[in-house]
Amino acid sequence: MNLFGRRNVLLALFALAAIAPHFVNTYHLFVCNLILVYVLLSIGLNILVGYAGQLAFANAAMFGIGAYGTGLLQVHFGLPFWLAFPLGAVIATSVGLAISLPALRVSGLYLALSSLAFAQFTQWVFLHWEKVTFGAGGFKTPTVSFAPLPVSKPIGLYYLTLILAAVLFLLAQNLVRSRIGRAFVAVRDGEVAAESLGIDLLRYKALAFGLSGFYAGIAGGIYSAMLNFVSPEGYDLFQMVLQKAMVVVGGLGSVAGSVLGAGAIVALLEALREVKGIQEIAFGAILVVFILFMPGGLVGFLKRKVPGWEEPLHRKGAGSAPAPAAAPAPAAGEARP
Amino acid sequence: MLSYLLLSGVTTGALYALVALGIVVVNKATGVINFAHGELFMFSGFIAWSLHVQMGVAYPLALPLAVAAGFALGALTDRIAFRPLIKADVISLVLATVGIAFVLRGVARIVWGGKGDYLSFPPITSPEPIMIGQIMVIPQQLAVLGGAILVMLLFAAFFRLTRAGKMMQATADNSKAATLVGIQTARIYTLSFGTGAAIAAAAAVLMAPLTLLYPDMGFAFFIKGFAAAVLGGLTSLPGAVLGGLSIGIIEALAGGYIHSSFIEVSAFIVIMFVLVVRPTGLLGFSRLRRV
Repeated sequence: MNLFGRRNVLLALFALAAIAPHFVNTYHLFVCNLILVYVLLSIGLNILVGYAGQLAFANAAMFGIGAYGTGLLQVHFGLPFWLAFPLGAVIATSVGLAISLPALRVSGLYLALSSLAFAQFTQWVFLHWEKVTFGAGGFKTPTVSFAPLPVSKPIGLYYLTLILAAVLFLLAQNLVRSRIGRAFVAVRDGEVAAESLGIDLLRYKALAFGLSGFYAGIAGGIYSAMLNFVSPEGYDLFQMVLQKAMVVVGGLGSVAGSVLGAGAIVALLEALREVKGIQEIAFGAILVVFILFMPGGLVGFLKRKVPGWEEPLHRKGAGSAPAPAAAPAPAAGEARP
Repeated sequence: MLSYLLLSGVTTGALYALVALGIVVVNKATGVINFAHGELFMFSGFIAWSLHVQMGVAYPLALPLAVAAGFALGALTDRIAFRPLIKADVISLVLATVGIAFVLRGVARIVWGGKGDYLSFPPITSPEPIMIGQIMVIPQQLAVLGGAILVMLLFAAFFRLTRAGKMMQATADNSKAATLVGIQTARIYTLSFGTGAAIAAAAAVLMAPLTLLYPDMGFAFFIKGFAAAVLGGLTSLPGAVLGGLSIGIIEALAGGYIHSSFIEVSAFIVIMFVLVVRPTGLLGFSRLRRV
């Protein structure tokens, strides 16, 4: 085992995260918690985009649905957080499954745009269904209590997020190496070829969408509890670009990359808190620069330079793995549904 | 009521048609969608505002200058986000144009966003409504409509009659064959991105006196233009115009008869509906999927 291999580095990061609350102030704890939330989001998005190759823009909307679901179930029905939170994730998962149905008819650019339209539609519902969602002003959610445990809310929530992130990281890591993960990659690299190998497109696309919805829903529930507040603008297009930037910076098709990407982007986001215009320029430029010059992301770099980071099933052209057959060139008509 | 709604629907629809035309021009030639299209539209509108309001350039001169700026920005988009990625997959291409979109949006927010978030463009005709028969008409709407039709005709003439337009047609039809007869397709791609953005710029300058300019407007117009393009079949130029007008009218009627908030959302519903029910659109033709 290499000293700086993937497993050691991630274990060290986990250990660091586990002891962090004893050393940092409230704000830094919040940022650490935010990183963990985004780790969940970008793992989910990476399963969908990086592994299954479905270019969907609905992840921010599902994040929002998780947050709204968790918050509104508490506000309208008086459910406790511990019940509303899993239910919110279930709602986001079902929405993810539901939007996978059009994904079967459309692919490539059409999927990108129909999911973008869906995301904007969700925003519109958050804004205009005022009786239920409280409109543009948003609403406050009750403070989560960790009653029997002797921990304050921020610390309790932080550890809850850490545990969920670790468990769901391991789940994703094992999933993408399993038969399911190989099926995702086969769908990504060629739908017709995958079908001819007996892979049920319906099942695996739905599974990828459902999984990303589940991860986003969990993240959304925690995020609403972190802020004690839910409002539409947290789940808009900028949110989507943030998540896409994390996945691209970390490395498309790498679960470990999602962790690195989330950490890097949240740190940058907090450093640029002041001006929205600068944030937009920075994240837009990062997206372009990484796609042009580092298509494998940070993980692609690590794989070339540091032993112990090899990953099977990584995207083509990114380090050690032999490139699979080139994806069809984006010629005219290739993206027809 | 109905005639007024129809007229305003046709006016905004003509603008959507121009945006859609730009999307279709790029898509026909290159097979991709420029996700920065809406931001190119927005940015050109702001350039026109700076020229006209801040520097006092006359409107008839500001319009072609902004169109030229739009062309340059479109060509730049091609050089940054399309040409280097021509062999990459669709995901990279789309994400690169999304990145450009956000850079443009951020720049616009910093340069023009601090002056009260909404900039108004002085009207170029008298703001007094006039009556034509029974219909109340704002002259600006007629100017927009006339301008949009003129731009469409100019583009049609360029596309059908000039050498460059014919090379674009040939590339769109079959890029390999176009290469074989000596057309430099990479240049045609740049030209297509530029032309698409130039049409969007013309739409932005025409629209500016009718509404307000703000940095987030690009995406709304992109989505509506895309809805129009999808409705028309995504590779059909007349389809884009037809789709644009339809979306404009649908919006105006939904806003007038159901609720004003439906103006924003009807385009999304049309996109989702068309893609699921008839992905080839009104004038598109279905093509077999290549294996």
